[in-house]
Amino acid sequence: VISSLVRRAAPLGILACAAFSLLLAASSARAVEPWVWDTPPRFPLPKVPDDNPMTLEGVTLGRFLFYDARLSGNQTQSCASCHRQDIAFTDARPVGIGSTGEAHPRNSMSLTNIGYASVLAWANPLLLKLEQQILIPLFGENPVELGLAGREDELLQRLRDDARYRRLFAEAFPGVDAPITLQNLVRALASFNRSLVSHNTAYDDFFYRFDDDALSDSALRGLDAFFTEKFECFHCHGGFNFSASTTFVGNQFDEVQFDNNGLYNLDGQGAFPPDNTGILEITGNPADMGRFKAPTLRNVELTAPYMHDGSLATLEDVLVDHYARGGLLTPDGPNAGDGRTSPLKSPFVRGFSMSAQEKEDMLAALRSLTDWRFVTNPRHADPFQPAWCAADCDLDEEATLADVHDALAVAFETASLARCAPGDGNGDGAITVEELVAAVAGVHGGCE
Amino acid sequence: MPLVDSVRVAAVAVAIALAGAMPVLSQEGPLCPGDLDGDGQVTSDELVTAVERSLSGCDLQTVELRFRGRVGDLPFACGTTYENAGAAGSRWLPTDFRFYVHGVRLIRADRSEVALHLEQNAFQNGDVALLDFEDDSGPCSNGTAATNAVVRGQVPRGEYTGVRFALGVPFERNHVDASSAPSPLNLTAMFWGWRGGYKFLRVDSFVILDDDFPEFRVHLGSTGCRYGRPLEVAGCTRANRADLRFDDFAAARDVIVADLGALVADSDLTVNLPETAPGCMADLGDSDCDPLLRNLGVDPADGFPSPPTQKFFRVEAAE
Repeated sequence: VISSLVRRAAPLGILACAAFSLLLAASSARAVEPWVWDTPPRFPLPKVPDDNPMTLEGVTLGRFLFYDARLSGNQTQSCASCHRQDIAFTDARPVGIGSTGEAHPRNSMSLTNIGYASVLAWANPLLLKLEQQILIPLFGENPVELGLAGREDELLQRLRDDARYRRLFAEAFPGVDAPITLQNLVRALASFNRSLVSHNTAYDDFFYRFDDDALSDSALRGLDAFFTEKFECFHCHGGFNFSASTTFVGNQFDEVQFDNNGLYNLDGQGAFPPDNTGILEITGNPADMGRFKAPTLRNVELTAPYMHDGSLATLEDVLVDHYARGGLLTPDGPNAGDGRTSPLKSPFVRGFSMSAQEKEDMLAALRSLTDWRFVTNPRHADPFQPAWCAADCDLDEEATLADVHDALAVAFETASLARCAPGDGNGDGAITVEELVAAVAGVHGGCE
Repeated sequence: MPLVDSVRVAAVAVAIALAGAMPVLSQEGPLCPGDLDGDGQVTSDELVTAVERSLSGCDLQTVELRFRGRVGDLPFACGTTYENAGAAGSRWLPTDFRFYVHGVRLIRADRSEVALHLEQNAFQNGDVALLDFEDDSGPCSNGTAATNAVVRGQVPRGEYTGVRFALGVPFERNHVDASSAPSPLNLTAMFWGWRGGYKFLRVDSFVILDDDFPEFRVHLGSTGCRYGRPLEVAGCTRANRADLRFDDFAAARDVIVADLGALVADSDLTVNLPETAPGCMADLGDSDCDPLLRNLGVDPADGFPSPPTQKFFRVEAAE
């Protein structure tokens, strides 16, 4: 009986201590908390627009919105439906399927390091900011993705009816009367996207954390080959982000690059299939036929199938059938043609011979860009799933006294809900006494 | 008002315009007298309007341009199926019908033009107005309950014998952040993010066949847009704005008919060029657009206005 009493009392003791320390902390006016990047030294940071600064509150709100099926017209899909964390925010399909069942002409892009992309989507030179791009899956009609065109009032009402969103929006955008607006929704989604920074690969351990053992000899040989004029990979997939269309803090010039990689040649003149003509669709310039962005290769091991239309199933297909050959041969069907002879093909897609060992080395190099931490990190995960531990306020997979402190501060509304979203188990936008006791008991019990 | 005063007013207005329509002034509204629509810009139109007003002693009259949405001779109404539409005489169910106009001017007998200074409301912002004939009912369910068939504004009191306006959103307002734009430029159904602007005209419809109901949509806006330095849209290879002018029009007597039947008169609604949008979404490679653009008064070859081919609008005496 006594030991049971002690077990029951201990959480309350912790609670009292934490409450006391909270009073000492003298938290007063609720300001947004600047986002803290956890990148290693020297790792570049994403550019952030002046009118949408990165904050804990904005990113947290954006994470809820990203995973919320209320962000589709028929409430069947969220952003995460086509951008699943476990496969680096792709969907494993050749092309995306929207909320009404309509197929997108293109493959759902990985959101790995999307905040570094100097141009968004596969082939649209007009999309330079996430805040612009996000409007397309939300409201685009050709194809329909989330299917919200003409339904913005309904969308915003769904969010206004939710107590948690009322608090999250008010705390992310303080000082305005009606913060639940389309502009703020878009801003928060953009902030969450910018927080999707991948820097925990073997490659990063080797180059940024100086762990000499992080890369196998095979991967090192593959990376060397990647940056040679024999394989030419780096011309389009170069730099720390393995994409030429990359920008970052300190980069004075936003480089935007589109290339025709010789994937198709329908007519001997370099034509691509009519629903996927690259930036020609936007510019109207015939020379732009088949020019697409080279996306980041980070997490490429997880993002099959490949290419803008998901037409190549494996990395081996990409390496052997396409790039080693100097352009894909499509023997028959509506897309028949030899990409190798395309007059519009990038001069860097020349083809190369590759021994079995060189192929294995290149695959090892590509796999060294896989970030297992990124695809399991709770900070990028679905907040509507029950947290492993209600007391892990900062989602660092540890439940500590600092977390209890945060839970208390949220409960007393001296801190924003973003400081301890997992503590709000019932999603009512507050941490109640019951939820607080559960969190404290969790910490006390080691959250096991 | 003595001429010398008019000149002084004009000079002040010119000075304000040259000063670059300072944002701080625009926020204070009344401090920037030349900025009639409060958009932070003193455009040449606003300058002319200011001078016109000073010349007329600021004696203004309100003018209401009445529009009518029709399918042939029948009123457009959500849920109505129309017979004999398009080149193949199809049964046709239009489900959306909205478009933007801007730069509305009234024309005097001497052919001089006076800008209509638009009342600012949910359907009119700056010199842009949305005409909206769908009411969200029945198959028009992606629309808005509110409709709008008038463009209302003020001109100096006088005799006007004609009207001129542009179909579309003006370039300066077509490539801004749509998520924070004021009404009527905040309607997501009119967003055209993939093209970096707005749909100028939105017509959705179904063609009623015996065994199928294919969609036929007309989404028109500027295409071939590109960035310059600094990074903002510097121009579009196809502006796709129409320039409408009716020399015999009296606002009190006449209405401006926008006729969907005339729009699709030369299009076979049962046929769509393979691998293109159903109907026309102003894609450069979609020849289904050509007859539609011509009937709107836009040259399909270059996106410039082509008034002689225009059939979509006509002026009729009010019923």
